Amino acid sequence: MTQLLYKKTTLSAQRNMAALLRALRAGRALRGLGSVGAAPAAAQPLCCSLTRGFHRAALRLQDESKSEKPPSSSTTYHEHYQAHSAEQEAAGAPQEHSATEPAAEEASRPNTSYQDQSGEQGEEYETEEQLQARILTAALEFVPLHGWSVEAIAAGAETLGLSSASTGMFYNGAGDLVLHFVSQCNSQLTDILAEQHNQVQLGQAEPKKTAEFLRDAVETRLRMYIPYIESWPQAMSILLLPHNIPDSLKHLSTLVDDMWYYAGDRSTDMNWYTKRAALTGIYNTTELVMLQDSSPDFQDTWDFLDNRIQDVVNMATTAKQVQATGETVVQGLIGAAVTLKNLTGLNQRR
Amino acid sequence: MHRAANTAVYAWSNIVGPVMIRQCLKCRVPPQMSARAYSVVPTPHDSEEKEMLHRILRVDHAGEYGANRIYAGQMAVLGRSSTGPLIQEMWDQEKVHLAKFNEILAESRVRPTALLPLWNLAGFVLGASSALLGKEGAMACTVAVEESISEHYNSQIRALMEKDPDRYTELLQIIKEFRDDEIEHHDTGLEHDAESVPGYWLLKNAIQLGCKAAIYASQRI
Repeated sequence: MTQLLYKKTTLSAQRNMAALLRALRAGRALRGLGSVGAAPAAAQPLCCSLTRGFHRAALRLQDESKSEKPPSSSTTYHEHYQAHSAEQEAAGAPQEHSATEPAAEEASRPNTSYQDQSGEQGEEYETEEQLQARILTAALEFVPLHGWSVEAIAAGAETLGLSSASTGMFYNGAGDLVLHFVSQCNSQLTDILAEQHNQVQLGQAEPKKTAEFLRDAVETRLRMYIPYIESWPQAMSILLLPHNIPDSLKHLSTLVDDMWYYAGDRSTDMNWYTKRAALTGIYNTTELVMLQDSSPDFQDTWDFLDNRIQDVVNMATTAKQVQATGETVVQGLIGAAVTLKNLTGLNQRR
Repeated sequence: MHRAANTAVYAWSNIVGPVMIRQCLKCRVPPQMSARAYSVVPTPHDSEEKEMLHRILRVDHAGEYGANRIYAGQMAVLGRSSTGPLIQEMWDQEKVHLAKFNEILAESRVRPTALLPLWNLAGFVLGASSALLGKEGAMACTVAVEESISEHYNSQIRALMEKDPDRYTELLQIIKEFRDDEIEHHDTGLEHDAESVPGYWLLKNAIQLGCKAAIYASQRI
């Protein structure tokens, strides 16, 4: 089997070399064209496909080097991290990480396809992680009916044409469903924030002030719960179960970190912690208020959010003022002491 | 007429050609490559690598922060003495190091260590108390700390080289440069009579033990 693997890698290495040589030849031809200055307009799309070719060949080489690494015992935990980090990377900063995401995805596939080890790169094969994700996403539409439970997962599996016994894949049952939903919402939020960030970079949108940005981010994120608001208390209690707490805290911390990052926070001191703690508090309390809010379009919740954010802003301003006042007072005292020393003649040097 | 048209076309293509090529080069720089060009730390492939890189950066940042505070403490005591300018010079270099690490931490979204307030206080106290032992005491403290830090940087360089020297070129370059600066500080300390402080051996080992504990803690917390 290792021989087959070797053959596969040398074949694909050859394919990559061929692609690179083709690209190099095209590059040389292009330079010839460019020096004559004959076809400047045609050069542009050619050049772009050239760099795309380089890029794809580079990706494939990178993929090769990664799949050559000894496939570590492909436990679900390891895959989960790879897929999770792949989707996090993709969601977190698409302009930087979109290149690594397909590479990471491709790398995670050969690691875990148990069935077919010979021949194909297995591009049609789905990992267990991806299958689970599909089932859970399909299960979400049954949540209003069945609540956050294994029945919803079973119903979801059935819409995909799988037997309801596939719920056996989910060791955590309803917990898996809730965590999947939370992680999906977080990715959606990160996509939206990244898109806004891009718009600002391109100059197509005005940068928002921090308070307004955070307010909008928290509102956008909490609005994703509106279709499931009836059953959300059940979901929250599931998230508070001891074996789910580490995962739910991790999701919460990445959510808050993303929000602050896109709000422009680049602090590397204790402010990193205080800011995130403050935002976590705001987010959690607003979520709780939302659960028992019956006003039209949750207007009370958004007002509550406004007030909390205003509180934090006020606290920060007050802290700064206190510090400035303190410094001024100290300087005044020193001035008074020096004056006293002068008056009593203690400052004279003989 | 014909020649004028020829020269016009020639001039036009001379202008347009390079502009088009420049536009070409701008058009589709692969995002990964452009990220590499501007960021010192490569994007981690998986969570293991991310954990390792974040630990390295977190502890280095904490180290530079602590070193800054130590020099600040020494300056507070010896600032107006004859060793003042020397300590100030070393402090300025540490400030440059800290600024660089602040930049790297921000762009790689690394969590800074939660013990920073502790290192703030401990560093200042260490610097000030060693300076109270006189110039030799301050130099002995510098020697001990810089020796710890350069040893620590060396082990990081070894670890990164073992993993993949090509992938971490920029990061390795920075760590090597900083390590060379720290070794220079260490040698400066020795030159200025660090060893003549009473209890040098005890002082040096106590400080180095403290540094090891600080490094261990900052990697995790």
